[in-house]
Amino acid sequence: MPAPLPLLSLGPFALVCAAAVTVLLGIAWQRMHTVSALVTIVGLLGALVLQLALQTPDSAETPLLVFDGLSHFAALMVLGSSLVVALLSHTYLRGYTGPREEFYLLLLCAAAGALILVASQHLASLFFGLELLSMPLYGMLAYRFQSSHSLEAGLKYLILSAAGSAFLLFGMALLYAQTGALDFTGLASEMGPWALAGTGLMLVGLGFKLSIVPFHLWTPDVYQGGPVPATMLLASISKLAVFVVLLRLVLEVPTFRDEALSALLAGLAILTMIVGNLLALRQSDLKRLLGYSSIAHFGYLLVALVIGSRFAVETAGVYLITYLVATLTAFGVVTLLSSPCRTEEASNLEHYRGLFWRRPWLAAALTVAMLSLAGIPFTAGFIGKFYILALAVDAQRWWLVAAVIAGSAIGLYYYLRVMVALFLREAADASRAGRGGHWLNDTIVLVLALLVIVLGVWPAPAVDWLAGLNY
Amino acid sequence: MMEMTVSLLPLTFLLPLAGTLLLAFSAGRLGERGAVWIGTGSVGLAALVTALVGADFALGNAGPQTLTLYTWIAVGEFAPSIGLRLDALSLTMLSVITGVGFLIHWFAGWYMRGEEGITRFYAYMNLFVFSMILLVLGDNLLLLFLGWEGVGLCSYLLIGYYYQNAANGAAAMKAFIVTRIGDVFLAVGLFLLFTQFGTLDIAELVTRATQAWSAGEPLAQLAALLILGGALGKSAQLPLHTWLADAMAGPTPVSALIHAATMVTAGVYLIARMHGIFELAPAVLYLVGMIGAVTLLMAGFAALAQTDIKRVLAYSTMSQIGYMFLALGVGAYSAGVFHLVTHAFFKALLFLAAGAVIVCCRHEQDIRRLGGLRRRLPLAYLSFVVGGAALAALPLVTAGFYSKDEILWQALAAEQQGLLIAGLLGSLLTGLYTLRLIVGIFHGEPKSKAAENAQPGRGPQHSVPLLVLAVLSTLLGAWLRPDLSAVFPAAPGADAHAGHTAVQLIASATAIIGILLGAWLFLTQGPKLARLAAEGAGAFFWRWWHRAFGFDGLYDRVLVRPFLGLVQSLRRDWLDAFCGLAGQLALVLHAGLSRSQNGQLRHYAIATVVGATLMVVILARA
Amino acid sequence: MEQTLTSTAAEQWAIGLFVLAVFGLCTFMIVASWLLGGRSRGREKALPFESGILGTGAPRQKFSVKFYLVAMLFVIFDIEAVYLFAWAVSLPESGWIGFWAATLFILILLAGLLYDSRTGALDWAPQPRSPVDSTRT
Repeated sequence: MPAPLPLLSLGPFALVCAAAVTVLLGIAWQRMHTVSALVTIVGLLGALVLQLALQTPDSAETPLLVFDGLSHFAALMVLGSSLVVALLSHTYLRGYTGPREEFYLLLLCAAAGALILVASQHLASLFFGLELLSMPLYGMLAYRFQSSHSLEAGLKYLILSAAGSAFLLFGMALLYAQTGALDFTGLASEMGPWALAGTGLMLVGLGFKLSIVPFHLWTPDVYQGGPVPATMLLASISKLAVFVVLLRLVLEVPTFRDEALSALLAGLAILTMIVGNLLALRQSDLKRLLGYSSIAHFGYLLVALVIGSRFAVETAGVYLITYLVATLTAFGVVTLLSSPCRTEEASNLEHYRGLFWRRPWLAAALTVAMLSLAGIPFTAGFIGKFYILALAVDAQRWWLVAAVIAGSAIGLYYYLRVMVALFLREAADASRAGRGGHWLNDTIVLVLALLVIVLGVWPAPAVDWLAGLNY
Repeated sequence: MMEMTVSLLPLTFLLPLAGTLLLAFSAGRLGERGAVWIGTGSVGLAALVTALVGADFALGNAGPQTLTLYTWIAVGEFAPSIGLRLDALSLTMLSVITGVGFLIHWFAGWYMRGEEGITRFYAYMNLFVFSMILLVLGDNLLLLFLGWEGVGLCSYLLIGYYYQNAANGAAAMKAFIVTRIGDVFLAVGLFLLFTQFGTLDIAELVTRATQAWSAGEPLAQLAALLILGGALGKSAQLPLHTWLADAMAGPTPVSALIHAATMVTAGVYLIARMHGIFELAPAVLYLVGMIGAVTLLMAGFAALAQTDIKRVLAYSTMSQIGYMFLALGVGAYSAGVFHLVTHAFFKALLFLAAGAVIVCCRHEQDIRRLGGLRRRLPLAYLSFVVGGAALAALPLVTAGFYSKDEILWQALAAEQQGLLIAGLLGSLLTGLYTLRLIVGIFHGEPKSKAAENAQPGRGPQHSVPLLVLAVLSTLLGAWLRPDLSAVFPAAPGADAHAGHTAVQLIASATAIIGILLGAWLFLTQGPKLARLAAEGAGAFFWRWWHRAFGFDGLYDRVLVRPFLGLVQSLRRDWLDAFCGLAGQLALVLHAGLSRSQNGQLRHYAIATVVGATLMVVILARA
Repeated sequence: MEQTLTSTAAEQWAIGLFVLAVFGLCTFMIVASWLLGGRSRGREKALPFESGILGTGAPRQKFSVKFYLVAMLFVIFDIEAVYLFAWAVSLPESGWIGFWAATLFILILLAGLLYDSRTGALDWAPQPRSPVDSTRT
């Protein structure tokens, strides 16, 4: 007799899935854009509220999934980010001529996949979650298939991601060959050369999703080509969920903490920080730039993986929150300026020239996001970076410290370049002035920007909350 | 109840901050009335909160305390927190800033009517009030420094308010750079204290310093000297005083608020707040008094030979702050702060009255082109007379008398006869230049069309602030003397009384002689004086004093030009090239790496495979 | 330590030999055929060659995308049927929870099928005549 299912802990996931099926049936009955969006938003909101209410001290478990502090935190982040994307997608898709409702379907499926992924403690659920997360993303990235860029982004991501998945599966197979187990606790039972090789290959597959150098090459093309809400989802929940599961692997499976692997990870971290920032230097396309920036940010985050202590989990949590909020803000501004998606998206920096004089609030929000990504004090990004540095200094990993500092110094250049463009006098083109969308959209982005500042000025509640999560 | 009002304290700076943000982001949509309402209202509400807290404090419901607002981040030992220090000193400063600040903001609504960019003006002004309050309320030096830099920035922005005129920009730059020199000293001082004691909390710091250092310890001297450097820059004392006269390029309410009542007295506040450190460095404390004395005399002479109303007032401000420094130097902190308060009242009054004259005469501010405005601008005349009397310390009826007399008496009690004599001489000079100013503006015949056709200002916006400040400049203002005995050690003259009456009599006599002499000279001997100043030794002194002893020229020759020359010659040096190398390298690497992003799917796939292979090989070798 | 080191070395030695053998065999086949085989050139040799018959026309023909779509849908439903088979075999063990899970699974599948048919994914006709999409103009 199997143990009773922790139905309540599965609730948010079930709600998201139910919303997906509802949207599906809704489309089958009649296409109604706003209703689909509403169902999505209500479903995600309900799941978010349920997840918030769930915070129980003792963790629930099934053979495949575990609901502890880490997955609670990650689930909240996933649901919150998906909610933001869903809200902004509605405006974005208004001008789209093809079928719009499927976007929400895909979004919900991706969110469900991310929820599984962050809670998985078994290689099967890991793979299942990862694919459920990635598959809808292919569709979403290629959603504007009339535009060759979007199609290209979707296809590139599909093919390279399949290659990544192949590595991941191969790695899993090797691990299985060594240990004869697929659950994380079982994997911990034995170490050996095959397990190490398997771990390395799994790292390739997961590192691909996180765009760790040298598996990062797809990032800018896909970021640039995909429709902004899809890119936003890719940059937020996809990366977050994969990182969380990798963190769980590092914490629970000893082969992931193997000395050689740890050294390799440290090398990759340094490489990723430096290369990501260098690539962004003279980038003139904001979406590409954000892609490179996300490479660099996950380089910083790898530091937490390399060290892998209790404090590292907290650090990763803090960093992920700050990264997510800033990234969502930045992409939110891009979405609002690209909405509704009738013409080309506003991704070239030229579009942002003198934005302050046309849409001061949006320019302010983007400035805040850039400051945060650059890690300037009194924004959320500083807190995250400070934690990373404190962690690395505490562990006396001086090479990592040096790389974080060098990377941040390089990064400052291109973040500031974006800001400068915002405040330049001559407006690029009066026709691009862009009428303001619904006030709600602007409000979302502004609230996010405010959150960036609040987290930077008063991080104590968030940090205490993270420290209090039982893991 | 008591908890309630004290917990309102953060509102005093949050309200002006909210005002700034609102004004900054309104992007000019508020219109003039809206901007004035928000700008003035936020400071008014802050003043109201201050009054509530102050009342509680005065009634003894709330004692001196530290409010920890929040801790920024707590990682290991590093836990910077933001706290507010509420005691008699900070409350006194807070009252001056919000109270006088509110009146000036109110008056500015009249002064700035019809000016371009009034939203910008009020946004800067509110930002200034915010920074200044942070400066005085901060319980640690970091917060103080933040406010310190904030007020410097606002001063820069407001001096250069009429930025279309290049001279104003230059004046703003000058103020910024000269005060920045002081700020560097202050910052180094803070670093020194932090490395020595590991804290920036003021109370904690002073306690640790008194435990670790004995009086006259070299490090204590150095720390005090560095802090003094910061104070000198901000408070326009020798040798960092040159910026204040040029700072008059800003709108007159700015001069009243920033360059008379509040910001320039921040140096006095700093030294008073850090008196524990200065007590450990008696030599530096003596230097403070000396600098004050020299500055007050020098500025007094310079004020005698100015032709611009505002420059006269600017030098007079320097001179009065000299008195405050003198008080600090003899250990009479409480007297110094008392003079700070009364000075804020009467100097704000004088500046606002000057502003009224300037607006009424269509921005004519040269004494030689004014005159005879007594009947046309009665309110301004009244304000000038009351303010001038307070400035010249007319015995018994003015606030200025009580505070200045206190300083002189303390100088005697501390047995610093030299400083006492300098103070008395300064008081004579004060009477002279005050009379020269009043006579020049209001007596005699109008000397230009603008003065003939002066239209008096109307409305409560114009008259109420002037009247309130005029009342505060009289005896009534002296009744508001704050009780600072809990904050400072006893002043040298606290217990002694011998000679107090004598000093009072001498000081009164000097002030009256100065005023009478001034009245006689400038009312009846005008043409003679003009002749005297035009030729021979008189002309030399006139020019010398007019240029404030030629410090500008001296600095230009000794510092600015050699520095510019050095900069010129170092423009393309190897060190610079070396520093640029990092950037060049980054660009080269960027160019190289960008080639990898060629958009070719197969290359990307190959890179992934190669990377994976390398990883496995590395792992296998390990 | 010694023990594991030797055993590891032994294992890796085997892998190394295997890899070497693979490369060796490949090299041998290519080099041997290059050495031993005859060589000739000519116009005919350059032509595409397939079972002795000359190629006619391009091999790339356009298939209707519907073909792939239907094929994919078939595969998906097919695989899902396999899951049901696995469930049916273990029916007694999985009990009622298993039953309700399978029911939910089938219902979701049905919803998917309904969606497919309503959006016209199952229509073979070239023009989309889906009842859902035709309501929009």
